[in-house]
Amino acid sequence: MVVKTAASVLEKFSTRRENLIPMLQKVQEVEGFISPESIKLISDKLRISENEIYGVSTFYAQFRFTPPGEHSIYVCMGTACHVKGGQQILNMLEYELGIKEGQTTEDGRFDLNRVACLGCCALAPVIKIDDKIYSQMSVLKLMDVLEKYTQSVEVTDE
Amino acid sequence: MANNSKIKLTFNTREVEAPEGVTVLRAAELNDIYIPTLCSHKDLSPFGGCRLCIVEIEGMRGYPLSCSTIADDGMVVLTETEAIREIRTELVQLILSEHPSSCLICKEADECKPFTKTVRKSGVTTGCRYCPNDGQCELQDVVNYLGITELSYPVIYKEHEPERMDPFFDRDYNLCILCGRCIRMCQEVRGTSVLAFNFRGNKTRVGTAFGRNHIEAGCEFCGACINVCPTGALAEKASKWDGIPDGSVIATCPYCAIGCQLELFHKDGWFSKAVPVHDSEVNDGQACLKGRFCMGEVSHHFERARKPMARIDGYWKEQLWDEAIEKAAEKLKDLKPDEFAMLISPDCTNESLFTAQKFVRTVMQSNSIDSTARSSLGGGLPFWERMFQKPIKIQEIKKAKTILAIGLDTRFNFSIIGVEIRKAIKAGARLVTINSRRSNLAQYSHCWLQVEPATEGIMLDALVKSLFNNATDLKKELKLSGVKKEKLADALELLKGQDDLMVIVGPRIFSYTDNADLISSITELSKKDNVSIIPLYYGTNTRGAIDLGAFPEILPGAVFKGDEKTTKKLESAWKVKFPKDDGITIDKIQAGECRPKVLYLVGAVPFAQRPDCDYLIVQDIYEPDFDVDLYLPATSFLESSGTLVNMEGRVQDAPGVEKLPDSVMYGRARPDWWILSQIAKQLDVAGFDYESSDNVLDEISDLADGFPKSGRIHRKMDTLRVETVLPETVPVSAKPRKKSGFLLVMQPGGYSYRGVDITSKVEGLQILNPEEGFHLNSEDAKELGITEGEKLIVTAGDKSGTACARIEDEIPKGAIYLFKPLAFGGLKDRCDLEQLFRLETNPCPVEVKKVGV
Ligand code: SF4
Ligand code: SF4
Ligand code: SF4
Ligand code: FES
Ligand code: FES
Repeated sequence: MVVKTAASVLEKFSTRRENLIPMLQKVQEVEGFISPESIKLISDKLRISENEIYGVSTFYAQFRFTPPGEHSIYVCMGTACHVKGGQQILNMLEYELGIKEGQTTEDGRFDLNRVACLGCCALAPVIKIDDKIYSQMSVLKLMDVLEKYTQSVEVTDE
Repeated sequence: MANNSKIKLTFNTREVEAPEGVTVLRAAELNDIYIPTLCSHKDLSPFGGCRLCIVEIEGMRGYPLSCSTIADDGMVVLTETEAIREIRTELVQLILSEHPSSCLICKEADECKPFTKTVRKSGVTTGCRYCPNDGQCELQDVVNYLGITELSYPVIYKEHEPERMDPFFDRDYNLCILCGRCIRMCQEVRGTSVLAFNFRGNKTRVGTAFGRNHIEAGCEFCGACINVCPTGALAEKASKWDGIPDGSVIATCPYCAIGCQLELFHKDGWFSKAVPVHDSEVNDGQACLKGRFCMGEVSHHFERARKPMARIDGYWKEQLWDEAIEKAAEKLKDLKPDEFAMLISPDCTNESLFTAQKFVRTVMQSNSIDSTARSSLGGGLPFWERMFQKPIKIQEIKKAKTILAIGLDTRFNFSIIGVEIRKAIKAGARLVTINSRRSNLAQYSHCWLQVEPATEGIMLDALVKSLFNNATDLKKELKLSGVKKEKLADALELLKGQDDLMVIVGPRIFSYTDNADLISSITELSKKDNVSIIPLYYGTNTRGAIDLGAFPEILPGAVFKGDEKTTKKLESAWKVKFPKDDGITIDKIQAGECRPKVLYLVGAVPFAQRPDCDYLIVQDIYEPDFDVDLYLPATSFLESSGTLVNMEGRVQDAPGVEKLPDSVMYGRARPDWWILSQIAKQLDVAGFDYESSDNVLDEISDLADGFPKSGRIHRKMDTLRVETVLPETVPVSAKPRKKSGFLLVMQPGGYSYRGVDITSKVEGLQILNPEEGFHLNSEDAKELGITEGEKLIVTAGDKSGTACARIEDEIPKGAIYLFKPLAFGGLKDRCDLEQLFRLETNPCPVEVKKVGV
C-alpha cells in the first residue's frame, strides 16, 4: 500500500484559494494533524502566507497542530457537562498530563481535546477516551481511568 | 474614486459636502467632524469591529456603523445623541475591562501626567507605564471624549507574555483591543501577511504562524503595523519613551534611491522617530526598515566623531575649525592635478556633490573627482545614463499587468518596490522572477526561473530573444543557466502577448564580472515602447552625482566632459580655465595604478585599510578604522539641509531636524559644502561665498537643467535632462567558467550610508544581520560538517578569507554567497575578507573548509 503523505494528497488540488479548508481537512485526515511542513506546502501552492493559513486553521476547532497521541481524550464541554463540572475535569486532566487542551503529552501517550456535546447529557459529566465513553466523572474516578491507560496498552470492558 | 461629483449631507445641524461614494465616517472626517473610531482606517477596508462609530441616520433603523455605510445625498446624520453616547460608553468600558486602564481612568491622572517623563533609571515609579506615553493612543482620545472616569465591569488581565525578542519594535498584546488594523495593514497594504487573528472566542489574539518570532515569520520590519495601532500594543523600541514629540518636518529618506518622504519627529531638539508621510507620491505612506527605524542610531551613535582632528607629530589632536581648515589648505596648496584625488559618496546631497566637483575643478584645477557610486553601477556610466533617460515610475508598478523581476529580493532593501509588486498581483498581475536564490517574492511568483548563480543575465537574454526575436534554439542558455525547458515555456506563456511589461532589475546582479548578457538584454528591452524598466542601484543620490558631474568624465548638467558649449558656460560662470586632464577614478586608486599625494575622502570609505598616499583627509560622520591625517566632521542627514535626486529623477527636499548649537556634547560638525567652501576661501579662490545650502541650490539651478531654485522644490516628477554623449562601452563577455567545488558569489551590500555600513551602528540590524558571513545551503553545511556561526575558510588560488557560516535554505547548493560592503566603516570583521573582495572574477570557483580541519 502506498503511504499517503500531505504532499501527495495536496497534489490533487488546484491552486484556487477556496481550496484552503478542504486541503487542511485532507491533510489532517491522512497525517492526523497539521504540521508546519504541511502549512508550508499549502502556502507555496496557494500563494497565501503561512501566517494567514495558521490564523484560518486555528479558528476551527477541528484542526490540531500536534501529532495525535496513542489515546485521544475528549472532555465534554456541552451545557450539561459544563454545569456538572466539566471544566474541573479538564483542569484536572491538564494538570495531570502536564499539557493544555489541543496538545499531546511528551511521551506521545495522550492528546487532550474538548468537544461540544457527546450526546449523553444524562450521564454528565462525560469524557471519551478513543471510542470509549466514561460517564459521571469525578476527579477520583478520573484518576482510576487514567491509571488503566498508563499501565496497560489494551483496555477491555470490565 | 474617479468620480468627482459631490453630494450634500447634514451632520447634526451642519450641512456639508463630500465626494460621492465615500463612507459616512470619511465624509465626517473630511469636514472635521469627530466620530470616535478604533478600528477603521482610511487606507484599510472597513472591519466593523469596535462599533464605536455608530451614528443615527434619519430614515434608517437602529444605529448604523458610519465606517461601513456609504454617504448618500441628503442624508441627515446625528453623531452625538444621548443614546449613542450611552452605547459608546458601554462599549469602551467593555474594551477597558480587558485593557490595563489605570492610566486612563485613574483619579490622579491629571496630577500624574506632567511627571511621567522622569529619568528612566531613577528607581522611582512615576506614573503607570503600561504603554508608551507618546500621545498617539487613540483609546485615550476616545476615553477622554466620552469622559469615562470609572469602570463598571470586572477587569481581566490577559496574561500574554510581552514579545520583545524581535528587533525594532515590541509587542504587548495585553494592550491589544483586537481592532485588526495591524493585520489588515500587513495583509492588504503591505501584502506580507505576517499577522493574522489566531484562535477564536476569548482566546483570540494577533500573532504569527505557530507563535514564531517575526524574523522567522517573514516580517519586513517596515513598521506599518505600528503606525496604525490605536493603542500601545505595538511600539517602536527606540522612541517608545520619548513622550509627546515637540514637532516634525517632512524630509527625504537618506538611505536609498527610492527617496521615501518621511515625517521626522523631534523632541527637545533631538530626532525622535521617522514615520512615512501618509499621502506621499513616491512611497504612498510606506517605508522600509532602514528609513523607519535606522535614523536615530546612525546619527546619534556614541562613536559618532563630531570634532575636527589632526595628526600632529604623531599625536591625534582636537582642532578648532580655523586650524583644521588652515591645515587642509596648506596641504592642498600647489599640488599638480595628478597629485590629488577626491572620492565622494553618492549619499551626499546635491549641494555637497556640486560644491565638491566645483572645488576640485576650480581650486585644484583637476578632474580627479570621482564618486564611489561607480563601483555599484555595473555596466558602466553610459549604460546608466541611458537608463535614466527613460521615465522610471515607481507608482506605475501597481498598474502593471505583467512583471518580470530579476535578481530582486525586497525584504530588507527596496521594500517599497515589493509592496507595489504585491499590489499589482492583488489586482491580477502575473509575476515572473529570475533568481538564483529563493527571494521573498518567490512566494508570490507565478513562475520562478531558478537559475545557476550569476546567470540571471543569460536567462533574461533567452527570454528577450524568444519574446521579441522568436528565437527557438536556446539550448546553450538553458544549459548555462540550469533551467528546464518546460519551466522556460511556462514563463514565456505568462509573458507572451502582453501589451505591457514591467521589468524590475535588482541591484545585486550588476556586479558580476560577466554581465554582458544582462546589460545588452536590458538595453534591448529599453528600446521597446511597451516595456518599462526599473533598474535598482545602491547609492541614494547617484542620479544627483551624475547630474551634477561628480565624475571625471561628466560635467554638471550630466554632459560629457568634451562638450564645448557646457565647458564655455562653466568657464564664464566660474571665471576659470577648465582643467583638461582625465582625472583619477576610484578604480585606478583601488587597483594601485595611481598614487595621489593627497587623497580627500568625502563621506566615502571604500577601503578596508589605509589607501596609499602621503596625506589622507577624511570628511565624514565617523572616523574610519585606519589612520588618517586630518579628520573633518560632517553633519548627518538629521543635522543639515539639502536636496536629493531619487531614482525617478525627482529633486526632493531633505531638511534637517536637529539644529543644535556647537558644544562639547553636540560637537562641531558642518555640512560638506560648508567645509569645502571654507578651504576654497582659505586658498583665495572666488565663487565659494555660500551662506546656506539654498545658495548652492540656486547656483545649481542656473547651471544644470531640471534643478529648481531654492524654495521651489516641488517633489513632483521631474525628468532631469540627461544627454547621452558618453561613448558607449561594449561589455566583454568572459569565458564560461568551469565548475569545481564551490562557487563564491559576491554581491554588493545594501547598508552603507556615506563611509559606514549602518549595520555596525544599528542594534536591530545587527540582530537581523542579513549580510554578515558566508551564506550557504544546509545540505552543503552538513557535508562540510559545520553548524551556524562556525568559522569557514574560503580559498581561491593564493587568496583566502575567513568568516562565520550562515546557513540558509534560500541559497542554492554548491554556492557560497558573500556580501561586499560599499563602505567599510565600522565593519572590523569583514575587513578579514579583503583578499576575497579583490578576486578578479565574480563568481569565482573556490575551496571551502571548516577552520581548524
Ligand atoms: S512590520 Fe511590516 S511586515 Fe512586519 S508585521 Fe508589521 S506591517 Fe507586517
Ligand atoms: S495590535 Fe494594535 S493594531 Fe493590532 S489588533 Fe491589537 S490594537 Fe489593533
Ligand atoms: S525604501 Fe529607501 S527611501 Fe524608502 S525608507 Fe527604505 S531606505 Fe528609505
Ligand atoms: S453536554 Fe456533555 S454529553 Fe451533552
Ligand atoms: S470604526 Fe466602525 S466599527 Fe470600528
